[in-house]
Amino acid sequence: MSASLPTSSRRDAMLADAAGLAERHAALLGPAWRSELTGWIVAAALFALFCFGLWQLGFTFTMLTHGGSQMLVILQVMLPPNPETWARVVFYLGQLAETLGIAFLGTLIAAIIAFPLGFLAARNVVSNLFIHVIARRVFDTVRAIDVLIWALLWINVVGLGPFAGVLAIACSDIGSFAKLFSEAIEASDRKAVEGVLSSGGTWTQAVRYGVLPQVLPVITSQVLYYFESNTRSATIIGIVGAGGIGLSLSEMIRTVEWQQVSFIVVLMLITVSAIDYVSTLLRRSIIGPSSI
Amino acid sequence: MLRITGLSRSYTGRFAAENINIEIPRGSFVGVIGRSGAGKSTLLRMINRLVDPTAGTIEFDGLNVTTLTGAGLRGWRMRCAMIFQQFNLVGRVDVLTNVLMGRLGHMPAWRAMLKIWSREDRLIALAALDQMGIANLAAQRADQLSGGQQQRVAICRALVQEPDIILADEPIASLDPRNTKLVMDQLLRINRELGITVICNLHSLDLARTYCDRLIGMAQGRVVFNDVPAGLTEDIARELYGLEAGEVMAAQHAETVTA
Amino acid sequence: MLEAGMLEATYASAVSARRMRSIQGAAVLIIAIGLACWAAEVRPLTLISKIGNFTSYIDRMFQLESGARVWTDPAEWFWGLWKWLGLLRDTLLMAYVGTLAGAFIGFLFCFAASSNLMKSKWVCQGFKRLLEFNRTVPELVFALLFVYAFGLGPVPGVIAIAIHTIGAMGKLFAEVVENIDMKPVEGIAASGGTWVQQIRFAVLPQVQTNFISYTLLRFEVNVRAAAVIGFVGAGGIGDELLTSIRRFYYSDVSAIIVMLILTVMVIDYCTEKLRHRLLGGEVHA
Ligand SMILES: Nc1ncnc2c1ncn2[C@@H]1O[C@H](COP(=O)(O)OP(=O)(O)OP(=O)(O)O)[C@@H](O)[C@H]1O
Ligand SMILES: [Mg+2]
Repeated sequence: MSASLPTSSRRDAMLADAAGLAERHAALLGPAWRSELTGWIVAAALFALFCFGLWQLGFTFTMLTHGGSQMLVILQVMLPPNPETWARVVFYLGQLAETLGIAFLGTLIAAIIAFPLGFLAARNVVSNLFIHVIARRVFDTVRAIDVLIWALLWINVVGLGPFAGVLAIACSDIGSFAKLFSEAIEASDRKAVEGVLSSGGTWTQAVRYGVLPQVLPVITSQVLYYFESNTRSATIIGIVGAGGIGLSLSEMIRTVEWQQVSFIVVLMLITVSAIDYVSTLLRRSIIGPSSI
Repeated sequence: MLRITGLSRSYTGRFAAENINIEIPRGSFVGVIGRSGAGKSTLLRMINRLVDPTAGTIEFDGLNVTTLTGAGLRGWRMRCAMIFQQFNLVGRVDVLTNVLMGRLGHMPAWRAMLKIWSREDRLIALAALDQMGIANLAAQRADQLSGGQQQRVAICRALVQEPDIILADEPIASLDPRNTKLVMDQLLRINRELGITVICNLHSLDLARTYCDRLIGMAQGRVVFNDVPAGLTEDIARELYGLEAGEVMAAQHAETVTA
Repeated sequence: MLEAGMLEATYASAVSARRMRSIQGAAVLIIAIGLACWAAEVRPLTLISKIGNFTSYIDRMFQLESGARVWTDPAEWFWGLWKWLGLLRDTLLMAYVGTLAGAFIGFLFCFAASSNLMKSKWVCQGFKRLLEFNRTVPELVFALLFVYAFGLGPVPGVIAIAIHTIGAMGKLFAEVVENIDMKPVEGIAASGGTWVQQIRFAVLPQVQTNFISYTLLRFEVNVRAAAVIGFVGAGGIGDELLTSIRRFYYSDVSAIIVMLILTVMVIDYCTEKLRHRLLGGEVHA
């Protein structure tokens, strides 16, 4: 057993060959910041653009402090949430039902319309490359238009109210659904189709018995997922006049009834969380926990 | 001098370590042996304070380690470096940086955050790597190294902490015989040349006898043997390893013959 | 023979059970549809009678004041190009500033919301709930409130986007962090590293590509959000679009929507390319 050495002499022992090391590994001993240089340049550029954005968009210190204190005042007035009368509660619940109805119907209509379109855009069903590419482009275009824009357009056509909301949600999701469906169909196993075809089935039968059973669970799960996210969308399309609880929300903010506002927000949060929960359960029962 | 008195750790009513009393003088090379689940890892992790003891004290040169928190605790962990069976390196980061992790406590926090390592720190890290014979790998990603190389990087990280103690938790359990010898030889060199205390969990009795100047045998959380390796009789081995003892001895005998 | 008969019976009963379940499912669906139609005031007749409005609306969108098709006179169609490009730039900047600020704060919060790094269960759950709140309240609702507090303009829009982004990113980031390998973290802790150093050196290298990839995805989502947040007066091109729609400036509506679609597609394409390079580099490095 050797005697323990003091720390300084240990360091000396370790660095006995410092000069030789420095010579052999000069590259690793250069200025420390050099290896990180690109990272720093990228970070600096991002930050500069950020500052430019703040300046361009009109951020000022006074504005932030003023708005911030204003926000604190509003928060104080908001609490506790208070609908004041039962009639109001019933009214809001009715609007929530409307919201759910909008999300449900919008999702369903989108899914029904997108279903055949999905087959159209699936490479393994329609082999015409031209149709395939065009279909994908059209879906992307439709997808790029926000649900709120659709809502405004439909209001011009069918007037203010929840029906415009249903149509808006349906339109904004057709593109996404068609794309997702076609991907699910493309990912399906060819063997089942070949099985049906080889036993003398027609092409339609092959799709019905070979493809459908495989893609239906996936599609159902995706539709449920979109229903979930459409519940969120449906709560806000009322802000532009397309039905649902958003209408009351913007109304109450305009008339500065802050306790009503917070009550509505709480109702929205509860509804969205409940739908999340139920939809996750359903999806899990459809496709198993692993794929969520 | 590391003095452990009445040290215990229980999990949901069951003791993983129970009433451990040992004294380890500076500069010794101690092997901790015992079958799987005996509490060897628990003991080492308690010394480094990765696991908090439920009772008892750990004392190092008059410093009560068991009550340390915050900066004091980090200071203690710097003084007692740890080596793991799975190396615990940061795989996606290069070897030199991995070794420099051992110097975090020796530099100002802002330098560490910005990864501006001083020239001296890098020299120390390179010197450690050089002594392990892997300085040429300094710029490689750690997860591209073989197990034996990774364990040597881990030893370097421990070494540049300039610790008083190195705790090694089965450092060679996932290595082949050649790397086993390399790693154990390095630990022995560190112990002999730098006078750093080494406490090493081992599965192999043979290795324990070869390298350690003191053995601590554990069974079911208790210390059942604490003596020089020569004192480890067949009977005590049987108590340590239960019915497996014969097998363990025979197997290890065979291993030494073939190796 | 007997066995075959039994098999047949089991098969028949299984089929009938399945049919029964299908019928029940269909009944539930039909009732739900009925209820939803009633709640959402669906008027198929209105739609049919007014569907002509929709087609004529689309038709008008691609017609200039003069009655000519828009593509015959692009200069007239895009008469406000420079103004709209300016608004589009503001929209992109809003998305950028909101994404960066939100992702940064979400980044700071995610470690406290990860159960493997935050030992205090209460703090961890507290941060998780905070992030959930930020994510569940839609941007537009935040924007409405902030427009009231901060006044009209891009500032409330950016803050709304940032706050929503904190929740969305924070949750995703925390999920990534909860799935890391903890051994390197332990390694740094054992050599005396602080909590922040453990994150800096053992967690970050494992998560950074994922974090950047998620942030790029979010930027694309936020561009879409920034385009419509102007509907409530919170800056960007949305305000202009709203005015055009409300005042029936048909060709302006189509011009702005075309510009929006192009922008979104370009951003979509660029972020996708960047993410591929990033993730591809990860595989090879
Ligand atoms: N985090 C924990 N929770 C519950 N029980 C634990 C925990 N860690 C260890 N134990 C228990 O403590 C006992 C001792 O474990 P320890 O890891 O110290 O054994 P060991 O001697 O290192 O075994 P091995 O040779 O397999 O590594 C075991 O019975 C184990 O089940
Ligand atoms: Mg162990």
